[in-house]
Amino acid sequence: MKELEKTKRISIAAVLFILAVLIGLLTYKRPKYMYAINTKSALEKLTSDNYLITLNDLNNPDYVLIDVRNQFEFEKGHMKNAINIYTPDILSDKNLGLFNELKETNKTAVLYGNNPQEVNAPFLILYQLGYDNIKLLAINNSYLENKLITKNNDIEKSEADITTFINESRENASIEQEVEDIIKAPKRVITVQKRKKKPAEGGC
Amino acid sequence: MVKKKIAKILAFRYKLLAGILILLAGGLVLLPKYQEHEGIKPQELLSNVISPERYITTDQVAHKLINRDPSFILIDVRDEKSYANYSLPNALNIPLKKLLDEDSKSYLNQNQFDVVLYSNDHFYADQAWILCNRLGFKNIRVLKGGLNCWFKTIINPMKPSENMPTEAFDLYSTRKASSMYFGVVYPEQANVAGSETKIKAPKRVITVQKRKKKPAEGGC
Repeated sequence: MKELEKTKRISIAAVLFILAVLIGLLTYKRPKYMYAINTKSALEKLTSDNYLITLNDLNNPDYVLIDVRNQFEFEKGHMKNAINIYTPDILSDKNLGLFNELKETNKTAVLYGNNPQEVNAPFLILYQLGYDNIKLLAINNSYLENKLITKNNDIEKSEADITTFINESRENASIEQEVEDIIKAPKRVITVQKRKKKPAEGGC
Repeated sequence: MVKKKIAKILAFRYKLLAGILILLAGGLVLLPKYQEHEGIKPQELLSNVISPERYITTDQVAHKLINRDPSFILIDVRDEKSYANYSLPNALNIPLKKLLDEDSKSYLNQNQFDVVLYSNDHFYADQAWILCNRLGFKNIRVLKGGLNCWFKTIINPMKPSENMPTEAFDLYSTRKASSMYFGVVYPEQANVAGSETKIKAPKRVITVQKRKKKPAEGGC
């Protein structure tokens, strides 16, 4: 009889465990938006992909223009056939549905705004959510006489050679100086101090 | 006879339990998909990205550099060649490709220093910021306008025209003084200046203390 008692307890425990796991699985709520790639692969893709396009490449019929500015700016002037999706709204159901549709029909969404920096945010978020059929239009928008003027913009182009400027200013001031080395960052030592585990302190 | 029947049923029960447990183990196959979903939630990332809090202006950075503020690190996310050509004093170089390497992470994933990311313009620095924000790193900011703005405001500040308010002129003289700190020489100054003080970068030791989990302390 004792043997039977033990086995009964084991089987009851096992059944309860399985029940608990099943209940956990059933009540598990899938997060509403899931990233499709982790940060490391996102970084690799970003640095190797060619996601920037200029105005000249816009004649492709597979491109759908999306304006990420707010409604006011959109109505002031927008590019032809552009859809307006304001950046804070890109995660709404309607807009994600639109992107899903575009992905299924193999069309490329081309995002643009007043300048490329504005578009960086929605572009990266959509990219990490798995919509890799998007590109960034590198342009600057400005208004003249109520008309929209769009110009190509070189991303991250260095506008001034600072070293040359500083050297020139020295020459102009005609000071005899040795060429000073750019102050290099000193070797930084980051020491990670591991704290010893303190035994549990009881009382005040 | 009854005992034998009971024994049979009992034996079958164990096989059943074992089968169910193996099935649940098979469910572990679903885990890899969840691993891709690392970092903070997309909605949170979106709201963090929209807010302009992360930007810091060139004037603020110049101020910190001149006052030798020890609580921040500058990180250049351009490639090595541009970094070698010109960079802000005491700045480290972490090219964008190597942003998430183990040794770069130790500079980014700490809460002792403020980190300011910059590049030629704040496009790449923003991308680096978004990825770091997704991983939950705090205290990271972006230099607004990058080195292009640095040049326009600090190295070569724009002289205000006659109809601008006094503040503009004050700002201009502050900026001109900062440009002298960073190496630009003006003709008027040359005639007066004697010996030049070389600004040496002090050797900095950053200690990052990893906090070990303390066992629960009882008492008050």
